[in-house]
Amino acid sequence: MKRLVVVDDESEICDFLKGFFADRDFDVRTATSGEQALKTIGAHKPQVVLLDVHMPGMDGMEVLRAIKSQYPNIKVIMVTAIETREKIEEAMRLGADNYITKPLSLEYLEKDVKEKVALLSESS
Amino acid sequence: MSLYVKKRKRVLKKVLIGFSLFFVGSTAYVLFSSLTSRFFPYPFMGNPVFAVLITTLAALLTYKPLDYLMTQLFKNYLFRKKSYSHMALMDLAEELATILDLTELANLVVNTFGETLHLKTVALVIPSRIRDDYEIISAYGWNVSDCKRVRLPKDSPLLRMIQDGGPHVLVRDRALRTLDWQEANRLAHDFDSLRASWVIPFFAREEFVGVLTFSSYIPESIFDEGDFHFFREFAQEVAKCVRNALSVQELKLANQELQDVQSQLLQSIKIQAIEQLATGIAHEIHNPLTIISGKAQVLLLQKDRASYDERVEEVLKTIVKQTKRAADITKKLLMFSQSSGSPKEMLDLSQVLEDTIALVSYQTSLEGIEVTRSVAGALPPYYANVHEFREVFLNLILNAVQSIGSKGKIHCEIRYRCQDEILEISVSDTGKGIDPQNRDKVFNPFFTTRTNAVGLGLFVTKQIVHRYAGSIRVESRVGEGSLFIVQLPLMESSKRVPAEKSLPLPFLKQVESEASS
Repeated sequence: MKRLVVVDDESEICDFLKGFFADRDFDVRTATSGEQALKTIGAHKPQVVLLDVHMPGMDGMEVLRAIKSQYPNIKVIMVTAIETREKIEEAMRLGADNYITKPLSLEYLEKDVKEKVALLSESS
Repeated sequence: MSLYVKKRKRVLKKVLIGFSLFFVGSTAYVLFSSLTSRFFPYPFMGNPVFAVLITTLAALLTYKPLDYLMTQLFKNYLFRKKSYSHMALMDLAEELATILDLTELANLVVNTFGETLHLKTVALVIPSRIRDDYEIISAYGWNVSDCKRVRLPKDSPLLRMIQDGGPHVLVRDRALRTLDWQEANRLAHDFDSLRASWVIPFFAREEFVGVLTFSSYIPESIFDEGDFHFFREFAQEVAKCVRNALSVQELKLANQELQDVQSQLLQSIKIQAIEQLATGIAHEIHNPLTIISGKAQVLLLQKDRASYDERVEEVLKTIVKQTKRAADITKKLLMFSQSSGSPKEMLDLSQVLEDTIALVSYQTSLEGIEVTRSVAGALPPYYANVHEFREVFLNLILNAVQSIGSKGKIHCEIRYRCQDEILEISVSDTGKGIDPQNRDKVFNPFFTTRTNAVGLGLFVTKQIVHRYAGSIRVESRVGEGSLFIVQLPLMESSKRVPAEKSLPLPFLKQVESEASS
């Protein structure tokens, strides 16, 4: 089963992406804060996480660090409204697997998520 | 050769003295004998050689007192003339106290000094503001281009002599005689480069502020100790004024710097505000845009499942395209505001120039402006922030475009000067030029001659160039065009690749492909 967690402080985005990936046979869970995200990921064990960079409280970078230290196998795609070279470099250093900006190109996102899931199922 | 000439001169001098002695003697003898022989027929008068010797001796003995008498008479006459000029100069010294502009002060001093004393050349030499040496600030009897070329290093023999000797007037020949020939040679060089026979040092309260150098048409003996005493007093007065003017100039400069820093701060605050605004907008707008665009994309992706009207598909595509455009606006705004803080990298400036020209090509082609560029040889890589240099080129080119209006030519050139390791960027246009009175102001913030412009372009350019220890200047002729020249020293950082190489970014390609899809 393809499992995905969407983390974004904007619940509309969460719902939208959940709907989109649910239609494509994903088991999707959502979280609207960093703390909640870590709990959901622990319980759901997804292959891929879509993670918003800018969130109040625990932000995307911290969540990324936590995920990569606890579950190094989970692929994390950073999603952000603004891209800066520094942020991209930081995310990469922390082990992010991709970095995409809003508004999203769903075609690209779908392809990328599917590739990552396929990669994981190959290796496991 | 010189030795031979010297000897010949000496011999010639002795022969001449001999002849003149003989002449003086015989004249005196003839006079004496014609007067006395009638009344006193002395026997030794019969021997002409003896008589000539006696009379020569007598003439020599009376020569000195007579000469002294004559000079005293001359001096009395000359002194009267001098006292007039002394008064004129003291008046000048009083007048100087009210002048605070250094150039005006210097011009007045050298011109009045030169004219009242009928001198050949006068020059006022003060410490240079830019370099660590002394330069002529104002001169009388010189070509302007000549006196700009004269530079006196701080440790030159002349300045050392002044600093050792204090506020005494230096006379060229007298000073040279006190030194051995090597030192004298060097000192003579200083005197000659300043075209000076006399040098008056200016001391204001023990502090050395500069020198007044001058030479006359007449031989050197026209000034005596009394004059030198007067010159010292005069120098004291002038030195005070020069010191004041220098302080005022320093204050002005400091003030200008303060203003620059202030406006820079203002600028950075503005940029910060834009950045905050842009970040806020990006967050607030990108989320709804994501949903709008996303929903449209969902419908588009479902295309194969349900049959759509072609028009509906067109509408959906437009929605996706336009939301992306809206997002790009905030992205550009962010890119601009973050440019000053973004990292430096090794740049090929000719590439940056080419990109920038491409950016404005649409606008220039509309206005019928031809933009050409030339890069002389291979440029060394320059360690800098690409956004900043894009802005430098953009501002210079846009400034040229606005100066031209329509129909004209802009030529951009980059060359590297190996000898002093300077990268020189020049942008010339065939525009309307800049009025001489505005030439200093073009780099000021908010200065513009256009009604619809903010006047920050050249100011920002100057700030960026200064950040790289470079300089920018403008040459212009009204009606013919302007030429902006930026000079950038190739700094140490440019010569070697920085140790912390920027990490390879495999994502960037993906992000780009995502953006272009």
